[in-house]
Amino acid sequence: MSETVAAPITARPAGARKTLLLKTIGALALGVVVFLLPLYLSSQYLLVLMWVFTGAVGAMGLTMLIGQAGQLSLAHSFFVLVGGVSYAVYASPGDKDTIGFGLPTLLALVLAVVTTGLVGALFAPISGRLRGIYLGVASLSLVFLGFWLANQLPSIAGSASSGRYAPSLKLPGFDFGEQNPSLYVLNVEIGSAERSFWLFAALTALAYVAGRGALSGRVGRGWRAVRDNEAMATVMGVSVVRQKATAFAVSSAYAGLAGVMVVWWYSGLMKPDEAVDFGTYGTTVAISYLAMCVIGGLGSLGGSILGAAIVFGLPQLLPLLNGSTSAGSLSGTAFTPVVITNLIFGALIVLIIMFEPRGFAGLGQRIVRLVRR
Amino acid sequence: MTATPAAASPPAATRNVKPLQIEDISVRFGGILALDSVSFTVAPGTIHALIGPNGAGKSTCFNAITRIYPLASGRILLGDNDLASVPGHRIASLGVGRAFQNLALVDSATVIDNVMLGRYSLTKGGFLSYAVRAPWTMKSERRHADRAAEICDFLGVGQHLHRPAGMLSYGDQKRVDIARALAVEPTILLLDEPAAGMNASETAEMSELIRDIRDELGISILLVEHDMGLVMGIADRVTVLDFGRRLADDVPAAVQKDPEVIRAYLGSDDDERQETP
Ligand SMILES: Nc1ncnc2c1ncn2[C@@H]1O[C@H](COP(=O)(O)OP(=O)(O)OP(=O)(O)O)[C@@H](O)[C@H]1O
Ligand SMILES: [Mg+2]
Repeated sequence: MSETVAAPITARPAGARKTLLLKTIGALALGVVVFLLPLYLSSQYLLVLMWVFTGAVGAMGLTMLIGQAGQLSLAHSFFVLVGGVSYAVYASPGDKDTIGFGLPTLLALVLAVVTTGLVGALFAPISGRLRGIYLGVASLSLVFLGFWLANQLPSIAGSASSGRYAPSLKLPGFDFGEQNPSLYVLNVEIGSAERSFWLFAALTALAYVAGRGALSGRVGRGWRAVRDNEAMATVMGVSVVRQKATAFAVSSAYAGLAGVMVVWWYSGLMKPDEAVDFGTYGTTVAISYLAMCVIGGLGSLGGSILGAAIVFGLPQLLPLLNGSTSAGSLSGTAFTPVVITNLIFGALIVLIIMFEPRGFAGLGQRIVRLVRR
Repeated sequence: MTATPAAASPPAATRNVKPLQIEDISVRFGGILALDSVSFTVAPGTIHALIGPNGAGKSTCFNAITRIYPLASGRILLGDNDLASVPGHRIASLGVGRAFQNLALVDSATVIDNVMLGRYSLTKGGFLSYAVRAPWTMKSERRHADRAAEICDFLGVGQHLHRPAGMLSYGDQKRVDIARALAVEPTILLLDEPAAGMNASETAEMSELIRDIRDELGISILLVEHDMGLVMGIADRVTVLDFGRRLADDVPAAVQKDPEVIRAYLGSDDDERQETP
């Protein structure tokens, strides 16, 4: 290939440097805000935000699978379960009731994510053959399988009544579960709540940045081609079977990371559900993840953070805003926070599908275009 | 074309352009034979037109070459390579680029993103290397993006690089589709009705462009087109299909005089044609 070194990089117009600068400044500002948040918010609110981060990481994986690679999955909560269980098995030392390897927690985290990705890849022979709603229904069966397996294997997944415990992340010199902190920032003691918040925020940022990189590059192009026209994708050199499997594996790996975060969020408790339609890893959660993706705009990583804020954040936030004193008055009626948020996001989904199929991401683009005009 | 084709083309000599031999191929859909023992050869560096009435099997022939439809019999050779012996997604890396009859762009993606898809088999890197933005991956990405942008300039869509492809005019989308096919750095380019839906001046530009592609890049072009003026003006050789069979295969002047070809074209509106398979 002939290459002229001095040639201007036509693919990157002159404005790119400026937008890059703006983006860097924006990211830094966001970073500072997130860093300072735990100093001003009480741990209750931190927990809400951490739950949002957890949902966001999972939803990013699902939105890539559905919105970019064009494959529907209702199995996301299953992969969240796989991630949580894997981490518990790898990280905890194990005892007479449970199997555990007691690996360093960072290694266990990485292994848990990889394991979940591989389990997702195992589903490839099925995901490669089915399309649309058929794939959705087939994948939903994984949630039932996961529920059954977890209840059959308490030595691995923990018993459904009491669960099992996995340690928090310990990096050399920094324990995210620190009970007796000696670290102070602006006179605020940085305990496990503050540390975990930072960890969750960092993992979310990492998941976002990684996803952006892949989606804007060769991988994302291959996925979009497969999504829009498989024959065209093949002619352009994309192995459709392989890219579908990759998308499923990546999506599952994200769910796996979310699964580890779920375990940390419950202070290390890994406990399988006692019913398949209700709990942390059941069908309701699978649908919730789908809702986050739809609300955020299918395929949009940033949108899935917003989707998570609505679907995972609101039900936790409403009771807090309502105040502890009047909590009783609400729970007496049919309108519990969960019901209210279900109504809100149900209505949102209907509105979005009717008026703005690209979700909040599409809405954002419209606003940007209006402002630029 | 005001672009700089000289910069856009690696020296023709670096591309080892080989003949494309279609040997006795048949394609069957249930009961119907969409292609019935068709043979022809696209000589290196020529524009070879494939014409015929609607439903003659032209697109089917493209789909057979690009392995979208399986062959019932016959062989397709590009040089020494039997195209049937490699998986479908390897065809591009053997040097086959294809633009589609019905636009097959990713509408939501930008023009440059669409054209970069053509570089897929020329590049490496999976999820992880892009996720961590490995320096060598990013370097190759930039290099290939430059080349893709060059190709877009060559096709006259260089000013739209960062617009969603779906927002371009029909004619420009056709050009993006061709740019993507060229981004494969093919030795043979398959063009399925590049001038469909274009007015006279756009068609003239397109014919100029196709000639430029052959002359600047030195590659072969297999062209399906209904516009006879365009075909007869630029084709070095013409193969005529009708009902999946080869009616004629000759230089344009001879094909135009062929009585069977004239009958097939003049008779294409007759009612009886619709009935016989
Ligand atoms: N996937 C398919 N399944 C069944 N029949 C098909 C398929 N693709 C093409 N055919 C049939 O094969 C025949 C040839 O179709 P083809 O698309 O190759 O025609 P064409 O020469 O490209 O026509 P046009 O000029 O209209 O594009 C037609 O009878 C068509 O109905
Ligand atoms: Mg056709």
